Amino acid sequence: MAAGIIIDDVTKVFPPNVVALKNVSLKIKPGEFFVVLGPSGSGKTTLLRIIAGLEVPTKGRVIIGDEVVVDANEGIYVEPRDRNIGMVFQNWALYPHMTAYDNIAFPLRIKKLPKDEIDKRVREVAEALEISDLLYRKPAHMSGGQQQRVAVARALVKQPNVLLLDEPFSNLDARIRITAREFVRELQKNLGITTILVTHDQADAFAVGDRIMILKSGIAQQIGPPEELYGKPANVFIAGFIGDPPMNLFKLKIDHPLIDTLNVKGYITKHGNIVYVGIRPDEAIASTSLENAHFIGKVILVEYVGSRRYAKVNILNEISMRVLAEENIRDGDEVRIYVKKLHLFNSNGKRICTINP
Amino acid sequence: MGAKRKLLKGYRGGLLGSPLKWLIANIVAWTIGVLWVLPFIGIFMTSIRPFSEVVSGWWSVSPFTPTLKNYVDALFNPMFSLLRGFMNSFIIAVPSTIIPVMLAALAAYAFARFSFPIKNYLFVTMLFLMAAPQQMTIIPIFFMLNNMRLLNTYLGLILIHSSWGIPWITFFLRNYFSMLPKELEEIARVDGATNRQIFFKIVLPISLPGIISASVLQFAWVWNDFFFALMLIFDPNKMVITQMLPRLKGQYQIDWGLLSSGSVLAMIVPLIVYIIFNKYYMGGFRGWAMKK
Ligand SMILES: Nc1ncnc2c1ncn2[C@@H]1O[C@H](COP(=O)(O)OP(=O)(O)OP(=O)(O)O)[C@@H](O)[C@H]1O
Ligand SMILES: [Mg+2]
Repeated sequence: MAAGIIIDDVTKVFPPNVVALKNVSLKIKPGEFFVVLGPSGSGKTTLLRIIAGLEVPTKGRVIIGDEVVVDANEGIYVEPRDRNIGMVFQNWALYPHMTAYDNIAFPLRIKKLPKDEIDKRVREVAEALEISDLLYRKPAHMSGGQQQRVAVARALVKQPNVLLLDEPFSNLDARIRITAREFVRELQKNLGITTILVTHDQADAFAVGDRIMILKSGIAQQIGPPEELYGKPANVFIAGFIGDPPMNLFKLKIDHPLIDTLNVKGYITKHGNIVYVGIRPDEAIASTSLENAHFIGKVILVEYVGSRRYAKVNILNEISMRVLAEENIRDGDEVRIYVKKLHLFNSNGKRICTINP
Repeated sequence: MGAKRKLLKGYRGGLLGSPLKWLIANIVAWTIGVLWVLPFIGIFMTSIRPFSEVVSGWWSVSPFTPTLKNYVDALFNPMFSLLRGFMNSFIIAVPSTIIPVMLAALAAYAFARFSFPIKNYLFVTMLFLMAAPQQMTIIPIFFMLNNMRLLNTYLGLILIHSSWGIPWITFFLRNYFSMLPKELEEIARVDGATNRQIFFKIVLPISLPGIISASVLQFAWVWNDFFFALMLIFDPNKMVITQMLPRLKGQYQIDWGLLSSGSVLAMIVPLIVYIIFNKYYMGGFRGWAMKK
């Protein structure tokens, strides 16, 4: 039975004064696949550990289903074992002295379920995760992808209300990673189990998340579905953090010629003297033959990111930016650049609007 | 080139840097190793030859007549049967290993993973007291055992060895437990295990190398102990093997053959224990390397 999760104004301070989380609030719907995305040290693991009960918040409360599992103000604390949570740690934390079978059976044996019931459930979950033929191997004799599946099986076998995944893909190489994502995503949808996945990799986040929360220095920056984070980043941090290659961001005075060229003065006049202008490499194109280009630039370098081709161009003799490149463009070419979309932020980095110039 | 190749056959680079360093390290290690085993070889050579052959030193090799006579004499000496000493040593050493290792493992886990009032003071106090020499404690121990009517009993000596072992084993295992990856215990908690279940089902099994290292050391220490046994056991029938040895030296002239065969017999037990558990023992000291 999937349960919703409410994080209510949670703050965590580690002694002496490391603020790992600051006033984080969010509501996760039953059956949702929720992703927490943030750079290293932003407090992602801390949040998961608080939900699991391995850590107690300094302030705030957590509700799973309709039970308050921890409330720092009221002094309520429910032990991890009574929260019915399945968890997968970053390094999987398989018990090295046990076979895959014993690892998966462990939570059920602790519950003292009858032997044949345990056997049935272990084999069922192993079947679903396609690890039936390695049940009698020890972790040391499994590949990373296999260990990950065993860890997921161990988390699922007790049919938890909530599944917590801490960077489950980080030890996998690029190819397995893609299959692993699809696999976890499909499994989650089939089981309908409320899942929180934590990662610092935006590709992970975008591949699996129904909704994503961006966390930075313990502060929630934005919560929303992937398209929203990409299309309407709430501030310059998110704008720069999300997207690959990253957004071109310029801090400009309001009388800068680029502002004129892009014709955005009307949007920013009441936002002070300084603005940030953001242009995604994928939302601008360099060409030799455009009619209605915004400006002219010189190509410094052409490069591939993934399968797409980008040109690094120099414009107005001072600004360099990366944009999509048409096929025939070479280093040193004079090109015309057309901007499809741009993002404006005020001097504090807060989002003003997104426009098509 | 060929000669150099051969010389450096065992060299794998990495750890010790240049081949020269490797060579020096090897020379040092071999020198220490030879110096270490030399006395043992001497005693062994003396023990397997008639007394007349070794009066001028064990290194004179002609004539060389191997014999087991010394061993037979030592084991079945009607006055001081080494066989009896063997049995007594076992009766003392086995429980004096199991009891402190079990108790210390529990204490060590508490020190490693739980917080309780005065924990750190307690630990430091323990470390301080560990430094106390046996000779300083023996008089109170003697009177205490006397009052408890445990003087000259197996139980008395076992208790003393156990209590003497608990602090250092606690210290050793605490360090070992603190090195274990916490995640294993945490995931077990999330999966519903109680502290006791975590300790017995997860922590103890994966600490086997550490537990075995501590046991081997404690066993060897108790087996080799002379001082406590000398002070606390005086019934010849209950004497341990280290107490028997000096009695083998004979009354008017030292019977080196008998003495050295007795020493070899006494040494052989800890040696066998080391060899059997060598793999774990080394693993225990290398510590826990988490497989990433
Ligand atoms: N037990 C602890 N004691 C003190 N500080 C801690 C503790 N655990 C975490 N922190 C600090 O809290 C902050 C957040 O840590 P956390 O592990 O949650 O980050 P993270 O987002 O998971 O990072 P990563 O991507 O590197 O795993 C960091 O500054 C970290 O140093
Ligand atoms: Mg983390």
